[in-house]
Amino acid sequence: MLFGIDLSTLGSVTVSLAQGMWVAVEIFFLTLLFSLPLGLLVAFGSMSKWAPVRWVFNTVVWVIRGTPLMLQLLIIFYVPGLLDHNIWAHIGSGRLVATVVAFTINYACYFSVIYRGGIQGVPIGQREAGEVLGMTRSQIFFKVTLLQMVKRIMPPMSNEIITLVKDTSLARIISVYELTFTGYSFMKSSGLVWPLFYTGVFYLLFVGVLTILFSYIERRLNYFR
Amino acid sequence: MAILEVSHLEKHFGATAVLNDISFSLEQGQALSIIGASGSGKTTLLRCLNFLEKPDGGAISVAGSKIFDAADSQAAYEKDIRTKRLHFGLVFQNFNLFPQYTALQNVTLARELMSKETGETKTSIEEAGRELLAQMGLADRADHYPHQLSGGQQQRVAIARALAMHPDILCFDEPTSALDPELTGEVLRVIRALAEKRTTMIIVTHEMTFARDVADQLIFMDGGVIVEQGDPHQVIDHPRMERTRQFLAHYSET
Repeated sequence: MLFGIDLSTLGSVTVSLAQGMWVAVEIFFLTLLFSLPLGLLVAFGSMSKWAPVRWVFNTVVWVIRGTPLMLQLLIIFYVPGLLDHNIWAHIGSGRLVATVVAFTINYACYFSVIYRGGIQGVPIGQREAGEVLGMTRSQIFFKVTLLQMVKRIMPPMSNEIITLVKDTSLARIISVYELTFTGYSFMKSSGLVWPLFYTGVFYLLFVGVLTILFSYIERRLNYFR
Repeated sequence: MAILEVSHLEKHFGATAVLNDISFSLEQGQALSIIGASGSGKTTLLRCLNFLEKPDGGAISVAGSKIFDAADSQAAYEKDIRTKRLHFGLVFQNFNLFPQYTALQNVTLARELMSKETGETKTSIEEAGRELLAQMGLADRADHYPHQLSGGQQQRVAIARALAMHPDILCFDEPTSALDPELTGEVLRVIRALAEKRTTMIIVTHEMTFARDVADQLIFMDGGVIVEQGDPHQVIDHPRMERTRQFLAHYSET
């Protein structure tokens, strides 16, 4: 017994939570993998020279940022089935895939706004200085503006990415056995309250690692202003 | 033959004519000062020469070959634009140094990126860069980042960066306007030394005495047109046009 908790229960709860954690980690990394590049595309779309393209992208961003992620998740998972095209049923872990799709769309829109701020935040004189020195467009982007952009977007990005860790718990609404769902199941089945707090510890550890990582990156970029 | 020949240059922003029938020429090894009030079109003129702004009319020739003609198509304008740009160097009012690179890297970056085409070695580019910084009196600042340098030092790095590309004509856009008064001297001295070495230059400035003393030729612009041009001493000390007199009188009061 440890603080009134019997050790074999502690062991089995730990194993279950670790499995839930694994699912949360999967959602997290897959979402980042797809939404980080997609967000850049959306950012370019929303800054397009052609007004109609801009309107389309800005409307999409408005709709996605203007409605709850949980609602988007419900729509993406259930609506295809209701229309007799249950695409998710044919995939092994359809619920997880539906989650990643909804999260990717949602986060790409948020990231696009951050990217846009980063791109527009680099003074135009930087690009012009590159141009008068005879650099090509891609040289200017990769050698001059990119790193300045990265430095600018790091603080809002780390905020958004930390939010993503906790948003993975929304997948529970379509019965994905992620971390929060797992912790909660012990309360429902065995009336145990402490696994909920234990669940919090898992999130804290995850976010703690990310915080250290982000502050390391920000420190590394601190050599210039 | 003139190194630079600008004829009937026009530039409009919407309905406003920013440059109107601008014509002048510049000989190799000479310095041209351009003075005038803010909004008179001086900066736009430099930006047109450096292909940062596309003129709506007129032509620009360097060493006898036409590098810009308003009659050309957009495709002809963009063709070899990098090569055409490199006839000119530009020193900005706000320096626009690249903050993530050291002083030396700022000077060498563009040439290193071009070394695939030119075949220059990294060592020789770096050596040339250090030499330029030494010329600017910044030998001991080569490894400093821009934010570790004073405004005057940053501007001198920017001058070295422009010189590194060996432009035919070096343009200065109010090079001391963003500097504290006690820092303008060091930048003006460097430009003066370049003039003594017969560097072909166009200097847009509000420093009247400097404009007069350093240049072989002077242009006074107002409202997008050249009001008066000629010998610097003559224009500044004995202006012919009433508008020039008004402008200079305003300056001597401040």
